[in-house]
Amino acid sequence: MSKENKTVTINIDDQILEVEKGLTILRAAEQNNIYIPALCSHKNLTPFGGCRMCIVEVEGMSGFPTACTTPVEEGMVIKTHTAQVQASRVEILQLILSEHTSSCLICEEKDECKEYMGTIRKAGVTTGCRYCPKDGQCELQDLVEKLGVKEINYPIYYRNLRVEKDDPFYDRDYNLCILCGRCIRVCQEIRIANTLAFKQRGPKTVVGPAYDRTHIDAGCEFCGACVSVCPTGALSEKVSKWEGKAEREELTTCPLCGVGCQIRLLIKKNEIIGSLPAEDPLVNNGQLCVKGRFCVAELVNNYQRLRKPYKTQNGTKVEIFLEEAVELSAEKLSACSPEQFGMLVSPNCSNEDLYIAQKFARVAVGSHNIDTTARTFYGTGFNAFLNLMRMAVPLSDVLKASIILCIGLDTRFGRSVVGVELRKAVERGAKIITINPRHHNLTMIAEKEFQPVPKMEVNLLNSLVMLTEKKKTPTSQFRSKRTTGSLSGELSTVAKMLKEASAPVFLVGSEFLQYDESPQILEAVEKLARNVSAGILPLPVQNNLFGSVLMGVYPEFLPGGFSSTGKERIDNLRKRWSADVPNFSSQWNAETLSSGSRMKVLYFIGEVPPNSRPPSDFLIFQNIYPPDISYEPDLVIPSAAFTEMDGTFINGEGRIQRVRKAVDPPGEALPDWEILCRIAQKMGIKGFDFSNAREIYEEISSLIKGFGDFDNTKRKANPMICEGELNIPETRPSRTKKADKKFPFLLSVSVGEHTYRGFPLSTWVEGLKKLFTEGIIDINPEDARKTGISRSDEVIVTSAYFEKIWSANILSEQTQGTLHVTLPQGESIGNNPHPVKIRKKDV
Amino acid sequence: MKILLKNIEEPDYTGSIQDYRRKGGYTAVSKAIKEMTPEEIVEEVKKSGIRGRGGAGFPTGVKWGFIPKNTDKPIYLICNADEGEPGTFKDRIIIERDPHLLLEGIIITSYAIKSHQAYLYIRGEFVYGANRLNSAIREAAEAGYIGKDILGSGYNLDVQIHRGAGGYICGEETALLESLEGKRGWPRIKPPFPAAEGAFRCPTIVNNVETLANIPFIINNGGESYAEIGVKNSTGTKLFCLSGHINKPGIYEFPLGISLRSLIYEHGGGIKNNNKLKGVIPGGSSMPVLASDEIDVSMDFDSLANIGSALGSAGVIVMDETVDMVDVSLNVAKFYAHESCGQCTPCREGMPWMRDIISRIKDGKGKKEDIDTLLDITYNVEGKTICPFGEAGAWPIRAFVNKFREDFEKHIN
Repeated sequence: MSKENKTVTINIDDQILEVEKGLTILRAAEQNNIYIPALCSHKNLTPFGGCRMCIVEVEGMSGFPTACTTPVEEGMVIKTHTAQVQASRVEILQLILSEHTSSCLICEEKDECKEYMGTIRKAGVTTGCRYCPKDGQCELQDLVEKLGVKEINYPIYYRNLRVEKDDPFYDRDYNLCILCGRCIRVCQEIRIANTLAFKQRGPKTVVGPAYDRTHIDAGCEFCGACVSVCPTGALSEKVSKWEGKAEREELTTCPLCGVGCQIRLLIKKNEIIGSLPAEDPLVNNGQLCVKGRFCVAELVNNYQRLRKPYKTQNGTKVEIFLEEAVELSAEKLSACSPEQFGMLVSPNCSNEDLYIAQKFARVAVGSHNIDTTARTFYGTGFNAFLNLMRMAVPLSDVLKASIILCIGLDTRFGRSVVGVELRKAVERGAKIITINPRHHNLTMIAEKEFQPVPKMEVNLLNSLVMLTEKKKTPTSQFRSKRTTGSLSGELSTVAKMLKEASAPVFLVGSEFLQYDESPQILEAVEKLARNVSAGILPLPVQNNLFGSVLMGVYPEFLPGGFSSTGKERIDNLRKRWSADVPNFSSQWNAETLSSGSRMKVLYFIGEVPPNSRPPSDFLIFQNIYPPDISYEPDLVIPSAAFTEMDGTFINGEGRIQRVRKAVDPPGEALPDWEILCRIAQKMGIKGFDFSNAREIYEEISSLIKGFGDFDNTKRKANPMICEGELNIPETRPSRTKKADKKFPFLLSVSVGEHTYRGFPLSTWVEGLKKLFTEGIIDINPEDARKTGISRSDEVIVTSAYFEKIWSANILSEQTQGTLHVTLPQGESIGNNPHPVKIRKKDV
Repeated sequence: MKILLKNIEEPDYTGSIQDYRRKGGYTAVSKAIKEMTPEEIVEEVKKSGIRGRGGAGFPTGVKWGFIPKNTDKPIYLICNADEGEPGTFKDRIIIERDPHLLLEGIIITSYAIKSHQAYLYIRGEFVYGANRLNSAIREAAEAGYIGKDILGSGYNLDVQIHRGAGGYICGEETALLESLEGKRGWPRIKPPFPAAEGAFRCPTIVNNVETLANIPFIINNGGESYAEIGVKNSTGTKLFCLSGHINKPGIYEFPLGISLRSLIYEHGGGIKNNNKLKGVIPGGSSMPVLASDEIDVSMDFDSLANIGSALGSAGVIVMDETVDMVDVSLNVAKFYAHESCGQCTPCREGMPWMRDIISRIKDGKGKKEDIDTLLDITYNVEGKTICPFGEAGAWPIRAFVNKFREDFEKHIN
């Protein structure tokens, strides 16, 4: 019975095969290792039938059906390689080649050229005349070999299209394009981004965004999915263009945000030459964002990577061996009292690094003075954010949700794999509601969107909280001067939608995190979620924020997320570590770095706190790149990047995921944990004799539940368990800061969130400079008109407390009367939002 | 015997609903809706033997029968008014001069296939035609033939006009569907055929204007009496579009089976300036040319197919002895290179190569091998493309070369 329902029997080239019903002839052949040439077909994409290479003969069917589009039928008799089919394929391939700058494919000197690069006709010796970046990886080239095409009966026609190099990350040479449409289909079907389309028709057909806009203007996410599926050299990565084929791959976890995508590192000669998405059904499903896809190689390969330690002696840099650096550190740290020590460690570090860092601080120095700059990033909202992480649901819940509320979320460049899931959700009928004071990329798919004026978010969320209260409450107190009528109607609709929805999910992005009112906003989100029984998934900016809490790299938290004030917990640790751990006493944290008293030793691991050197006698700077000159660290130690070490990260959903060493670190660089262990051993401290990350992981899993086996980490999503709270000063800003006659605009500020180990990614990755624009002020066109400001003008922004100059961007989505600017981490303007006035410079 | 031009040929016929009703119009709709079940109408149309007038000649009743039974999806009727085949101007006449004849056919057909939404996909350049149809739809709606509860029967039908944006390929029914859906006009891969999955992935019937305009007659007079007109396998009358070197060009309606010779010499008034006939394209530019000694053929689907050409859209293009077939084939090749949609390789690359090779032959730069290369390309394109556009471009070129090879050779020597 099952056979009749599920399979059919077919005959391909005299082989009798039983294949799944509904397959195309091409897939059925592939599954049975029968080769049928094909160019436009791709396993993840719908059949296109355009290249016509896969034509076959089917008994009883007229002409030559294409194997990629014809479904198998019971009793079908298929011939894939008859003389006529082969001849036709050669002819069709010639037609394709007639428009492909294909001399490399049929040149009679090609073999010698490949070996000696003897023929220098089109380019320099670097490339020979085999100038295509896909040489050796080109599917067209393979096909020419397989079909044995030696000459072309048509003259080669060069389309003479301009090679497009304006957009970051990948070049487009459509002279090499064979119009297979894979890039367009992946953009439309898999990414559901619809950036690419065919333009023109017939022989003039080209690929690109409609109306000849640039990719940036057309909303391209630079996910690189199109580049990955391109069978020829038409689309090529700028960075690895001439690197050729990778020798091997390593599966690891991307550290560039809290989503935790699984990536395949491409490796050639101990160097990362690229990164591709892994087909990981738990997190990223074969997708990546611009950071994971295009930035990894540039980030870890930049020539400015630290290779050797150096110390500063009488104002000059002196390069030293690692051993000397370890000795020097041990000496300074042995002489440092616990209260005069401070350590900052990056939430981009692995759990193993973080665990060793806090153990180092607590055991080797006897101090709880360890922190991360996440504290300054989340500011007063940190505890509220941790509360949301305690409720975190897996991203896969988005698949089940009928309504998804996105709060302060943008998925164009960061977290774009989440954006793909959202668009898929919309396709299957889910509804998206967005709350974001700024223009963002989800408006296109949102069923309802709210763009509250800065400072009105709390009101808006609170009225949703009230409207969804399970017990009847007096009518909503929400009042808005401008849009009461329609807005309150909209809010009631949304409240009703949320209440009636099955399994709604809230996604929390980072737009609100730096606002003065972020604690109230996040608290309202939490209440609202409880009212409508929604799952919440906060999407942290720092990839291992979860791990940093769980490993206890905060004065207030011990490993396991336990509160440091708990006496029992400390006692327990003493037993487990067989070492003395001080009782909690710490007034120090990242916030007090610059303002607090002078420290004897400050130790920064993967952190670059803003501004210049904080007051300290001895500053150790341990990172993959050198610090800004203003730091003048006393000692600089090179770290390994995530591609150069083993370990684990925990993503925003609470999945413990492996980081795998792909290449050796440069020079004397070592993983952070290893450097710390060496210093501790030099100091004569016990409990740091780890020889690899696995041993550390095992110690972690003996202390904290849920870690499992190192080689087979339990990648289960778990909400965060942590007791206690961070000690955050109650510097709630006064609420009276409203726009007035003197300062008529309300300026809101976001902080650049795309960083790795304290550095903005755009410092090391050229292409990101075009995507992540800091210091650009968004102005509504009407406001711009009134103030006489046009695009790219320098704008002087003045408040009661500061005066700044930023470049103008006119944006119709910016609400009138409001302004927005993104600043680098650490730069602050005080109150946020902030009443200001603006004028054009030199007016 | 006139079915389609019956009204139009009357001197003061305006095509208004009053005129149309005066001539007995809209009686077929009442008969169909009030007295017949949809199944009976389909049966009647099957009996009539009418074959599609768009070019492929598929039996209309059979096509309607492909609509899946008991589907829960909406069913659409699409009238293909994207008349773009060079040498063809028959649908335009119906649309502009007797729009209600077409509408009546659309209403009956919609009822027969249980559709409540019909689209009229009209060629973008037919601005007057689109306006004309719009006002006709308004008139018909006011008279209760279109809209809710038509003639008190409880049957609802909405008819909408969709104007094309200028692509020959959108006359191909699946490209038309894509275009109708607001997408790029590219043919779809078949199967699924439109009857199973057409517009908006719902069952859809696409019929040509002329086909639909025959339906009222079939309902009024019965399928059998329609089948008596014409010849076996090619029943009914047909509009022939005469153009080229002919004394009386224009639209003519005759029963299928009339001889091409009589069409040209008897009704078309013979060749201009009493020149000698060189060749005739019998069915629009995409059909193979006939040489002057082939014109005793009967103008019906089977007879033309038997001599290696086809009735197509019955656009009869007459060419006299002054014509250089290289010019003609260049003209045709240019057209198909320009109109190729670009989706599949053989057509996208093959059509421009045919154009370029013919062009260089014409310029006296041709090589001897070029003629055979040209023929090779026609075989590489034929049968290897997604839609019939490949044949439409390859067949005529092959026929020009095969039948008038000496014209090509003259340029090469």
